Amino acid sequence: MSPVLSVTGYTLSYRTRSGLRRALSDITLDIAPGETLGLVGASGSGKSSLAWSILRMLPGNAQEGRGQIALAGQDLRMLTRRQLAALRGRRIGMVFQDPSTALNPSMRLGDQVAEVLIRHQRLNNRDAAIQAEAWLARTGLPHPRAIMDRYPHQVSGGEKQRVVIATAFACRPELIIFDEPTTALDVITGARILDLFAELRAETPVASLYISHDLALVGRIADRVAVLEAGRIVEQGPARDVLRAPRTATTRRLLDAIPDPAHRLSGPPPPAAPLLALNDVTVTYGRASAFGQLLGAPAPVQGARHLTLALNQGEILGIVGESGSGKSTLARALTGIAPFTGQVVFANRRMTGTDRMDRAWHRDIQIIFQNPDASLNPRHRIRTILGRPLRLYAPASPAEIEAGIIAMLEEVGLPAAYASRHPHELSGGEKQRVAIARAFAAAPKLVICDEITSALDVVVQADIARLLIALQARHGTACLFITHDLNLVRQLAHRVAVMYRGDVVDVFDATDFATADRHLYTQALLSAVSRL
Amino acid sequence: MRDLFRQPTFIVGFVLLSLVAIAVIFGPWLAPYDPQAFHPRARLQPPSAAFLLGTDQFGRDLLSRLLIGARATVLFGVGATALGVAAGGLIGLVAGVSAGAVDAVIMRILDGLVAVPDLLFALLIVTILGNGMQNALLAVAIAFTPGLARIARSTVLSLRGRDYVLAARARGEGPAWVILCEVLPNAIGPVIIEATIRVAFAVMIGATLGFLGLGAQPPSTEWGLMIASARQFMARNIWTVLVPSVAIAMVALGFNLLGDALRDHLDPRARR
Amino acid sequence: MTAGWLLRRLGTIVLVLLIVSFTVFGITQLLPGNAAVMILGEFATADQRHAMELAMGLNDPWYQQYGHWLGNILRGDWGMSAGLSRPVASLVGDALGRSAILAGATLVTVCLVATPIGVAGALLRGTVFDLVIGLVAYLGASVPEFVTATLLLVVVAGPDTGWLPAGGFTPAADGLGQFALHMVLPVATLSLILVAHLSRQIRSEMGEVLGSDYIRAAQVKGLTRTRIVLVHALRNALAPAVAVLSLDVGYLLGGILVVEEVFAWPGLGRLLIYAVQNRDLVVMQAATLVMAAAYTMSNLAADIIIAKLDPRVHYA
Repeated sequence: MSPVLSVTGYTLSYRTRSGLRRALSDITLDIAPGETLGLVGASGSGKSSLAWSILRMLPGNAQEGRGQIALAGQDLRMLTRRQLAALRGRRIGMVFQDPSTALNPSMRLGDQVAEVLIRHQRLNNRDAAIQAEAWLARTGLPHPRAIMDRYPHQVSGGEKQRVVIATAFACRPELIIFDEPTTALDVITGARILDLFAELRAETPVASLYISHDLALVGRIADRVAVLEAGRIVEQGPARDVLRAPRTATTRRLLDAIPDPAHRLSGPPPPAAPLLALNDVTVTYGRASAFGQLLGAPAPVQGARHLTLALNQGEILGIVGESGSGKSTLARALTGIAPFTGQVVFANRRMTGTDRMDRAWHRDIQIIFQNPDASLNPRHRIRTILGRPLRLYAPASPAEIEAGIIAMLEEVGLPAAYASRHPHELSGGEKQRVAIARAFAAAPKLVICDEITSALDVVVQADIARLLIALQARHGTACLFITHDLNLVRQLAHRVAVMYRGDVVDVFDATDFATADRHLYTQALLSAVSRL
Repeated sequence: MRDLFRQPTFIVGFVLLSLVAIAVIFGPWLAPYDPQAFHPRARLQPPSAAFLLGTDQFGRDLLSRLLIGARATVLFGVGATALGVAAGGLIGLVAGVSAGAVDAVIMRILDGLVAVPDLLFALLIVTILGNGMQNALLAVAIAFTPGLARIARSTVLSLRGRDYVLAARARGEGPAWVILCEVLPNAIGPVIIEATIRVAFAVMIGATLGFLGLGAQPPSTEWGLMIASARQFMARNIWTVLVPSVAIAMVALGFNLLGDALRDHLDPRARR
Repeated sequence: MTAGWLLRRLGTIVLVLLIVSFTVFGITQLLPGNAAVMILGEFATADQRHAMELAMGLNDPWYQQYGHWLGNILRGDWGMSAGLSRPVASLVGDALGRSAILAGATLVTVCLVATPIGVAGALLRGTVFDLVIGLVAYLGASVPEFVTATLLLVVVAGPDTGWLPAGGFTPAADGLGQFALHMVLPVATLSLILVAHLSRQIRSEMGEVLGSDYIRAAQVKGLTRTRIVLVHALRNALAPAVAVLSLDVGYLLGGILVVEEVFAWPGLGRLLIYAVQNRDLVVMQAATLVMAAAYTMSNLAADIIIAKLDPRVHYA
C-alpha cells in the first residue's frame, strides 16, 4: 500500500541572531494508511518542528532545505496558501497538547466543531450542527447536545480534549497529528483519552503521527517508533523492537528516564521514630477580610480538610493526587505560608496555627517548589540564594558562608563558579539543583518536594530524582514527596498517601501497591497508569 | 543593554531625549539672545539667519525662549512624576503588604480619587494652592498619586504570590527582608516603566495648565504658556505656536518611546 | 451577570461618589476666603459678612456643613451660581448634555477608526504600513489636546482657510448641518490621542491573540483568513481593548476641559474652567461630582460590554 504521509530527506533551519540553527536534518519517514507512527524525543529535539512542517505552518524565520513532504503522493511544499487552507482540516487534522488553549475561549464548542464541516463539506448550519453532535457523541461525551452550547471554560479538561478530537476527525482526514494529547491532563483522564484514541483508530482508516516524550507510552500504542535527537532520526523501527532492544544511546537514555516501579531508588524504610504527625488538619485559602466580604469577595475555599498523617524520621512519604486535590496546600500549611486549623506535631513541638512558627521551625522544614524559574529570585545571584539559609539560621563568618556555598554546589553537582551567576544563566535542571541545594543547606529534618520534577525535561527528571534520594540518604532527612506521577513515587517513596479532592483516601507501603482493599480512586489511578 | 539599542523605538526615544537633555543642561549657554529681550523691529518674524526659529509678538527670539524654557517644562514633568511615584509607591506598598481591612480601605479611597480625571484633579488642587509653577507641580504630583498607588499595589500583590517570595516566607525570613530584598528589586522595573510614560503625561499636563493660565505665569518661558500667549497672533505667524508645540511633542514622544522600549525589554512576552 | 452583582456594583459607585464628594468638599473648604466673601464681594462690611455666614451655616463644624451640603445635593437642591446667577442644577444639566454629545461622538469615532488600524497593524506587523502607523500613533499620543486644537484652528479654521467654524455650539434643532460642522474640530482633537492609544492596544492584543494556540488550531482546521481574523481573533482581542478604553474615558474627560475651552463649546468642561478661574465653588463641586459619576458609570458600561464579549467573565 502506498504511504499516506511520506517525508524524504527533509531539512529545516531557523534564522536566529547567532546565525542559522539546524532544527531538522535529513528526515525520512513513511506512515501507511491505518498505521500509527510514534515520534519520540526530548524537548527541543525537533518533534514539533516536524509537525508544523507537515502542516506547512512554519514561523517566518524558518528556512527549509532539501527534501519532500508528500501527502498521498502530492508534494505539500508545492501547494499555494489557498490550496493548503483547503487541505488542512479536511485531509490533515491535529490534536493539540493542551485543550484549554487549543479551543477559542469565546466560541461555543458546537460551533467550533461545526465550522470545519461548514468549511470543507459545504454543509449548511443545521446539517453541520447535527453532524458535529454525532461526532461529539462518538468521542464518548455523554450529553453532546448540552456540550454543543457550552463554552470551553464550562467543561472539564477531558471533555475539551474530546471536542478537539471530534474536530480533528470530523472531516475524516487521511492523517491526524497527535501532539502529546495526554500530557496536560490528569492521569485518569489521560488514560481515558488514550482509550478513545485506540477505539477511533480501530474504527477509521486514519494514519496517525503520535508525538510524545514518553517512550513507554508510545511503545504501547504505536505500530512503529521513530526516535528523534537534535533534529535527526537516530532510530526507527517496529515499536516492540525499539523498546525491547534499543540500538542507540539516545533511545536507551529515554528508556532509562521512564520511572520503573520495579527499580527502586531509595533504601529500606528507616526504623519507626515519629517525626511529624498531622491531626485533623484543615487548610483554607483565599480568606476574605470582613470589609472585603461586605463587598462580595468570595468566601474562603478549603484546600485540604481533616487530614491525619504521620511521618517517621528519615522516611520518604509520597503524596499522590490530581491537580487540585490539596497536595500543595498541605505543603504550604506546614511551611507557614497558608493558615490551617487542627494540630501539627513536629519534632516534639505542637502547632495549632502558623503564627507561632519560629525560625527553628522554618529551619527544620524546608520546601522545594515545582518550577525553579519561579522559586529562585531572578535578581539574586546563586551566591545570595544559597548563602541565605546559612546566614539566616546560625551566626556564621563570611568565610564559613562562602565555604558552605561551595560545598553545597559541589554536593548537587554544580561547579563552584556558578556562585556568581544569576538564575537565568542556568538550565532548568541546574536551577532545580540550586533549589535543592538551598533546601539542604539549612540542614533540615524534613524536606517537602512539591512536584519538583514535573517542570523539567524527561531525561533531567530522572537525574533530579536520583540526586534528591542521594542527598536524602546522606543527611538522613525525612521527605514529603508530592507528585502526580505514580510510577515515580513507587520508585522512591517508602509509603504512599493518596489524596482526592482534599481528603487523604489511602495510605500504604510503597511495596504492596496493588492489593484489593484499596480505595476506589487508588484503583482507578493504578489501572490508568498501567494503560498510560 | 545592548539588546535595547537594537530596538528602533529605544534609539529614537534616546536620541530625542538626548537633544532635550542638552537643552535642559546647556540651554542658557546655547541661547543666542536674552529670552526676555524685545526686538521691536523684528516682531512675529519667520525663521531667518538672525532668528533661527523666528520671533514672537514682542520680537523675542523663539529659539532662545525655547532653550531656556526647556528646564521649566521638562524638570516640571520629571519632578511631578518623581513626587507622584514616591507618594503613590509608598501608599501602594503599604496597601499591598498589609492586605486585609487596611488594604480595602485604601483601595476604596483610591477608587474614589481615580474617578476624577487627572487634569481636573490637578486643576482643583491648583485652585487651593494658587497659580504658579511649584503649585502646579505639586498638583500634578498629587493627581498622579492615586493611579500610581494602584499600579504599585497590583505589582506588589502579583509579586507576593511568586514562588520566590513564598519560598522566603517558608524559610522564615522577616518582613523587612521579604519586602526589601525579594519584592522591591522586582517591583522597580514595572514602576520605572510606568513612571517614564507618566513623565510624558506630566509634561503635557504641565503645559496644559500653563496654557490655561493656571501654571507658569508670564513672562516665564514655559512652553505651554508660550503657546497660550502666542495664540492670538498665530494666524499672522504660525511659528510662534508651532515651535513650542513641536518641542512639547518631542519631549512627550521621547519619554513615550523610551517607556515602551523598556517595557518590551523587561517583558519577554511582548518581545517578538 | 446577576442582579446581585449589579446592585453591589452600583453600591461601590455610590461609595466612590461619596469619597469624591468628600474630597471635593474638602478642597473647597481649604480654599482661602469663604463662600460668603465670594458672594458678597470683598467690599462688604463685617456685619453683612457675619450675617451671611450665619445664614449659610459657615460657622458650623465641617461635618455638619458637609452633611448639610450632601443632603441638599441629594435632594436636588444644588444651589445658585453666584457669578452666573443661575441655579447650578440647570447650568450643569445643560452643560452635561452638550458634553455628552461631544464625548459620545468621540468614543464612536475612536472605535471606528482605531479598530481597523489596530487590526491591520497586527496583521501587517513589521511592514512599512505598520511602521508608519506606529510612528503616527506615537506622535498622536505625544501632542497635548490644546496643541492639536490650536494648530487645527490655524490650519482649517483660520482667516485664510475658514473651512470649518472656529468654535461655538449650534443646537441640533437649529440645523443638523451646522450642528455637525461645529462638532468636527473638537471631536477630531479629542479623538487623536485616544485613537493613537487604542489602536496600539488593539494591535498588541491582536498580536497576542494571533500567536495563541487556538488561532493556530483554527489555521489547522483550514479556515479562511477572513474568518480566522474576524470571528476567532477579533472578539478575543476586543475585550481587553474595551477595558483599556474604559480607563481612557478618564483621559477623555480631562481632554474635554481643554477642548471645550479652546473651541468655546459650552459644556461641562468650559463650565468647570469658568468655575475654577472665578472660584465659583458650588459650580465646581457639582460639575466635578457629575464628571466622576459619568466616569464610574462608563466603567460599569465597559464591564458589562466585556462580559458580553468574553463568556469567561462572569459577575456573580
